[in-house]
Amino acid sequence: MTRSAILHALATLLVAAAVAAQEPDGGFRVEVDQADLARLGAPEGRQLAGDELAERTQAVAALMRCPSCQGLSVADSHTVASAAMRAKIERLLALGYSDEQVLAYFEASFGEFIRLAPRPVGFNLVVWIAPVAALAIGFGLVVWRVRSSARTRRASADLERYRERVRAEVER
Amino acid sequence: MASSLGQAFVLLGLLASAIGAPVGFYAGARGSERALDLARKLALAFALAMLMATLVMEWALITHDFSVSYVASVGSTATPLHITIVSLWSSLEGSILFWGLVLGLFTTLLTLLQRGHVEYLGYTLGTVLAVAVFFCFLIAGPANPFAPTPPPIPAEGPGPNPLLQNHLLMIIHPPMLYLGYVGMTVPFAMAVAALLRGSLTPAWLRPLRNWLLVPTGFLSLGIMLGGWWSYEVLGWGGYWAWDPVENASFLPWLTAIAAVHSAIVLERRGTLKAWTLILVMVSFLLTILGTFLTRSGVVNSVHSFTQSAIGPLFLGFLALSLVAVVVLLALRVDTLVSAPGDDAVVGRESAFLMNNLLLVALMFTVLVGTLFPIIAEAVRGVKVSVGEPYFNRMAVPISLGLLLLMGIGPALPWGRSDARTVRRALLRPLPLALAAVTLCWLLGGRAGSVLLTSFLAGYALWVTFDQGSRPTRKRLGRGESPGAAAGGSLRRAPRLVGAYVVHLGVIVTFLAIAVSSVFQSSAEATLAPGEEMTLAAYRLRFERVGLEQQPHLASEKATITVIQGGESVGTLEPALNQYRTQREPIATPAVRTTVTHDLYLTLMNVGSDGTIGLRAIRTPAVAWIWIGVLVMVGGTTLCLVPSGAAPVRRALGRPVEEAGG
Amino acid sequence: MNRKVLWVGGLVVVPLVVFLALSFGHDPRLIESPLVGDPAPAFDLHSLDGEAVSLPALAGRPVVLNFWATWCQPCIVEHPVLVESARRYEGRVHFVGVIYQDDGELIRRFVEQRGSWGPSLVDPGSEVAIRYGVYGAPETFFIDRQGVVRRKVTGPMGPSMLDAYLAELL
Repeated sequence: MTRSAILHALATLLVAAAVAAQEPDGGFRVEVDQADLARLGAPEGRQLAGDELAERTQAVAALMRCPSCQGLSVADSHTVASAAMRAKIERLLALGYSDEQVLAYFEASFGEFIRLAPRPVGFNLVVWIAPVAALAIGFGLVVWRVRSSARTRRASADLERYRERVRAEVER
Repeated sequence: MASSLGQAFVLLGLLASAIGAPVGFYAGARGSERALDLARKLALAFALAMLMATLVMEWALITHDFSVSYVASVGSTATPLHITIVSLWSSLEGSILFWGLVLGLFTTLLTLLQRGHVEYLGYTLGTVLAVAVFFCFLIAGPANPFAPTPPPIPAEGPGPNPLLQNHLLMIIHPPMLYLGYVGMTVPFAMAVAALLRGSLTPAWLRPLRNWLLVPTGFLSLGIMLGGWWSYEVLGWGGYWAWDPVENASFLPWLTAIAAVHSAIVLERRGTLKAWTLILVMVSFLLTILGTFLTRSGVVNSVHSFTQSAIGPLFLGFLALSLVAVVVLLALRVDTLVSAPGDDAVVGRESAFLMNNLLLVALMFTVLVGTLFPIIAEAVRGVKVSVGEPYFNRMAVPISLGLLLLMGIGPALPWGRSDARTVRRALLRPLPLALAAVTLCWLLGGRAGSVLLTSFLAGYALWVTFDQGSRPTRKRLGRGESPGAAAGGSLRRAPRLVGAYVVHLGVIVTFLAIAVSSVFQSSAEATLAPGEEMTLAAYRLRFERVGLEQQPHLASEKATITVIQGGESVGTLEPALNQYRTQREPIATPAVRTTVTHDLYLTLMNVGSDGTIGLRAIRTPAVAWIWIGVLVMVGGTTLCLVPSGAAPVRRALGRPVEEAGG
Repeated sequence: MNRKVLWVGGLVVVPLVVFLALSFGHDPRLIESPLVGDPAPAFDLHSLDGEAVSLPALAGRPVVLNFWATWCQPCIVEHPVLVESARRYEGRVHFVGVIYQDDGELIRRFVEQRGSWGPSLVDPGSEVAIRYGVYGAPETFFIDRQGVVRRKVTGPMGPSMLDAYLAELL
């Protein structure tokens, strides 16, 4: 237990050092301070840079709702707050935090509403499973209907053949 | 005076529909021509009352009669005339009056064009007028636009929502959408009539299908115009945000398409009678649900009107309609005798079944996603968002399934056939499919979804052209000239040609959406005057930015020169519009549309040092999304063209004497 | 009477109508804050006049932290309520304003014309607004003497509402 605690502290120290060494970007004084680090914990992903960082920033920003807009994502919005959030997402991803950690970080301030797709836990699973379940049930019904009509057809074909034989017998 | 006159007309409409509805039902129950005639007259009276009330309101709007409360809330002497005219539907009360007008229009067309079928028509008119009673009641009471303004009567008004004023599309999007939405009432009424009679004859199916196609076409157009408007005006670079109100217009469209396909099977095989009726009725019920969501303020949407007393009333009407439909089905579904399924469901018919399954599944998915925030809040007390990431994840696979079926469905022959024929039919489109996916790869497409889409689209394109040109090719084979062959096919089989034109439009739209999402490129930069940024083949030079002050709006407009291949191809002026009454400034984009792609510029911010933040997006194939939907609407119109002898009579389901008679 | 249809129909219709009916009490724009019950996020900002205000320094007295802007109509409606309340509770409660996505010059002019109820803090990059999970303006956070967020109010407050909420903290 002591060993993992030391590793944890070390990771946090490294992140804090990386934070201190960063320069402000995009015109925003993006702060990742002690309180943030405490909330975030140890980074669970790997540090990103360059094109990959830009892509992932867009991807994560697309999963978050712009707080002051109507239904737009942070990726699509051009408000000051959204730009600042994008900068913060970029900083956190560069420091090695995973997508889920970044989302959870913002969720701690804004609540679940900030996520544009509900986290698939607890009751939220309904929205993810219900459509799939409905499709599966519907598919089952269609297949059953197709099969039963094939059965009817086979049955009536059998009946027809039986009638033919009886007729042949009777006419002999 | 306008107030009282308008209110009087609305009450007349209420009276006419309140009497006409039971008369219509009586005419249907007894088969009485006299009662039907009376119901017809009352229906026309209702329509006329709505027309007159609308004219009175327009007059009040144009003359800026602020003694009428609706004019006081949306009118303004500063608004240009054409905006004043369309402010009829810019706010809640006026939009319900507009609903009444459109319902009156459809009622008139139904009454005048649809003759014969006394048994069905009585019930149909009764149902339409029953719906009209609800809307007249709303207009007369809770949502009364003619209510007199409490004194003191203002000399000026706030004008309609500024967002609705700055683009032509906003003028035609609501009417098209309403024609689609309200138009669903007619096929609904015809389906109810079939259930009440306990039978759905082919002669009644034909007009039902036609009256279903008309609102479906308008709905396609209205949805497309909404997306186009969102793209051109709201400045975020997209055209569909899965906003609850957008979804509300999408849902009935999906079930209406399913109903159309179900009707095709019904016509050919005599099966799926109950399902066709159910899908038609669900389409109408979804329009009421959609209207409820828009007007009740219970969902978080860019369109919502504020919460008002209207919400509970709409919910009550929806609940009543739902119960009525369920009870009616329970009572009558067993009397709807389908033709015994003497032939197996194979070949094309099974594809139709799968198609309808997917359409209904897609509808259900979008419905659950739209309603889930409400459900989650009721159950957990916490607000959640369900937005684009969810809908894209769930809807895209189903849509690809639909695209697949659009290919293999028409390729399969009707009824039973041997395995060799089926295999050959399914393999023939493959070359084009492979060519399409190769082309996509060569153009740089690497994402699985876009490659799959191009494969399926290529497949479906081949099948669509093959099947759609069949009548023409047959005629060409008989030695007719191309012109005569095409003309003859259109005259004799407009439904077939029209259907494949619609499919073509759908495929084009699908491809355009896939291409525009995946191959989009964008860039952002902060520019000082004179500085340039590049995006793909474009150089964009920031010239200057100016501030325009208007009473309701402060507009910062930047002038950007667009340079391509070393020469200037024009200037674009994106703007940041801060309306006094809005929370956030709206970035009005400047768009340069060409056949292959759009260049989309948005002004992100204007710095105090004279620099601007500019965002440029290059999206290929956007114009083809709008074109694809227009092709769909064109195909829908073709499907409505009557074919063969005595065309109009046949389209309306009236008996036609056989050839020679 | 086809019972299957009735059952399936009922199963679809009843929950749908019930859920829609239940949605009426709720305003979809009011988002509850997860910060309630937690220590308020610290901030260290400067007002338009250069005065430095930091949250830890305000401990010991309840804090009314209001995010507002001049482009926001309800904020303008709320403004006189805050001016009046700040006067009444002077010395007992800290009233602190944070500018939410607005121009400092516009705020300054507004305050000069209509009066001030507390420092208007400049929030560069909306950093503090993000920490507090602000969805729009006006939003007000009620923070108690120990620095714990006790309540978040979305939308403009009336005087009686303000008094009732402050009574909880005093």
